[in-house]
Amino acid sequence: MTEILRLENINYSYIDGGYERQILKDLSYSFEAGKFYTILGPSGSGKTTLLSLVAGLDTAKSGKIYFNGKDIDEIGLHKFRRNAISIVFQQFNLISYLTAVENVMLAMSETDNEIPKDRKNVAYNLLERFGIVRSKADRMVNQLSGGEQQRVAIARSLASNVDLIFADEPTGNLDTATEKEIISIFKELAHDFGKTIIVVTHSDTVSAMSDQRVLLKDGKLTKIK
Amino acid sequence: MNFINRAFKNVSRRMSKTVLLILTFFLIGNLVIIGLGVSKASESAKILTRQKMRAVVTYGLDYNKIWQYADTIEDEDELEEFYNNYPRIKLEEVTSFLQDERVKTANTVNINMWYADSQNSLDFVHLGNRAEEDIDSSSGQSCWYDDVTNEQMCETYKNPYFLIKSNMFPDMIEFEDGEYQIVSGRFYTQQEIDNGSLVCLISENLAALNGVGVGDSISLAVNYLAGYMQQFGLTEEDLENRFEVIGIFSHSQPITPDAPNFDYCYPYENPDNMIFMPSTTIYMAQLPMQQKQFDYYAEMYGDDENNEYYLDPANRPSEENMASQMNINDVTLLLNDPLDVDDFVRDYQGSLSQFAALSANNEEFNRLSKPLDTLSMYANFIVWLVVINAIVIITLVTALTLKTREYEIGVLLSIGASKLKVIGQFFIELAIVAVLGFTLSVVSGSLIAKRIGNTVLEYQIASSEVSQEEEYYYNGHGFDPWNTDYTTDISLEDLVSEYEVRISPLIIGEIYVLGLGIVLISVIIPSFMIMRYNPKKILMNQN
Repeated sequence: MTEILRLENINYSYIDGGYERQILKDLSYSFEAGKFYTILGPSGSGKTTLLSLVAGLDTAKSGKIYFNGKDIDEIGLHKFRRNAISIVFQQFNLISYLTAVENVMLAMSETDNEIPKDRKNVAYNLLERFGIVRSKADRMVNQLSGGEQQRVAIARSLASNVDLIFADEPTGNLDTATEKEIISIFKELAHDFGKTIIVVTHSDTVSAMSDQRVLLKDGKLTKIK
Repeated sequence: MNFINRAFKNVSRRMSKTVLLILTFFLIGNLVIIGLGVSKASESAKILTRQKMRAVVTYGLDYNKIWQYADTIEDEDELEEFYNNYPRIKLEEVTSFLQDERVKTANTVNINMWYADSQNSLDFVHLGNRAEEDIDSSSGQSCWYDDVTNEQMCETYKNPYFLIKSNMFPDMIEFEDGEYQIVSGRFYTQQEIDNGSLVCLISENLAALNGVGVGDSISLAVNYLAGYMQQFGLTEEDLENRFEVIGIFSHSQPITPDAPNFDYCYPYENPDNMIFMPSTTIYMAQLPMQQKQFDYYAEMYGDDENNEYYLDPANRPSEENMASQMNINDVTLLLNDPLDVDDFVRDYQGSLSQFAALSANNEEFNRLSKPLDTLSMYANFIVWLVVINAIVIITLVTALTLKTREYEIGVLLSIGASKLKVIGQFFIELAIVAVLGFTLSVVSGSLIAKRIGNTVLEYQIASSEVSQEEEYYYNGHGFDPWNTDYTTDISLEDLVSEYEVRISPLIIGEIYVLGLGIVLISVIIPSFMIMRYNPKKILMNQN
């Protein structure tokens, strides 16, 4: 398998109550393309921090992150976010004054990646693939259920034609049935579309369905066999 | 779904917020339109009135300065020297003004009253009011003391028939203005001025009455031969000259029978009897008379030690001494554009000679336009007050809105939207509502501005000390032959009649520019807030 993301000697700390709190310590790990990863760990272990670093939302105190062999600092975090990754959040993070299809098109307009010209139809098709029919696609997002909104968020993450999709507790607000549906979508994305999915979760159901479970503990990542 | 598109969607889909903001801009727009409308109306009323006034600047001696300076001289000899070399306006100074492209021409007018010759060969244009004998008999007595016997001598004073208006430059303001127009022939040239040629221009009525045309000559007497003149040894030939008629003019100042005091007008008060000629021509025409008078006194005072004046040949009237003896009292400069008057005075004020003064003569205009100035000042003050308040209010509204839209900004940044595009979206959203609000306000503001503008002007005039009655001066029978004041009389009514609150396309354009300016400034502070936003913090807080 090809390596898509590599973390080398990542250190991250912050000052808490006058004391420096080390979250990540010389963390190194390599993610392969086309696989569905789940990162597990106790609360406060730094899962979300790790996600924000690999998503280019924050920078480490030291260490390097390579995307397809290139240092993301050299690519530029803004460009990296725009062209290389997508993030799916627990709260879905959709724009409330846009319809579902417009939310999906939003991601297309911000990337430099190649997007087909007929963007609206591409967006409709993406949504339809994840169970959002046209009549719902034209609704404002706050008129959709939680599960539907998360599907819209996933459709949006695919719209920008990126290789890496991160998700932070994507099923945290969903019922078990919907949770399973969403996870199967992630699996489909990894296996059928060759996307690399890295999901931070507490959920055993989610982690059980992933290709590779990774544990974040004491500031380091270790594979769970 | 670019940022412009997003801005339109946000504005159209969050109607309650949009309506509130449109209302805010609508109110701001109305106040700005009223302010700008009133201010522009006041300014344009002043400009339009100023444009109707003659573009004249006067140049002359500042006698107050001369007297004040003389008061500081304590030494009597020095004071006498100062008076002997009394400050004068020099022809070169006036000529240098004429080099300025803003200046059209200059008047250095002298007025003389002359007579028909002893043969009465040139009849004057009668007003049909007085009988000729009545004109002469009503003149009263002219008395003097004989220089030799010291006895009082008296004789009947003869009224002059013709008013001679002379100038040192070929283009007179009267003719430049169109008040007088040459209907035949031409005006005198600079060469004729320099030579003191015996040329003149007469009115078409005077020409018609006497059957005179261009190229003919007329005979005039600079004085009449009476006892006083005879004592100098003058003859009729010394007083009479023939002048070639080089031009015939018409004028727009006829004295009609309904003019006040029409029955009591003298011939020289009739503009038909006015004759134009160069100032040097006057000098040359009077030369024999002036020389004989000079020689008479020179002989009479003999070698008296106080007779220095008559012993100096430079003081004897002669063709050679003409240039140095030509006296210029007041100069009126006619400018091409009335709006240049103030700038012209300002430009030259610092470089004038010690006792000279240049005046725009706009004290009356400034006094009368005070209510308009005050109105304009208040209107501008209101505009700025509204604009500053608008900036503060819109900045606060935007900053507060930003707080509620942090989440949206975080999402946009996380999907790779640039911060500049986010700021751009906010700017466009505000610009859309500003344009809508201001467009609505253009309609209502135009109606309100007109009404409020007129009401506040009425109030302003009523509360100011300027009154309509005191500024208008009415002159005799409508034509003042001695008047060399070329400034235009204006009244408060003239100014007010030009005051009209109109919302012109220019004002509408200004309102939109101002509105976009408000939006641009209002977005600055929120922009700094956006630039400091960290998408990680926003999104982690949300989640």
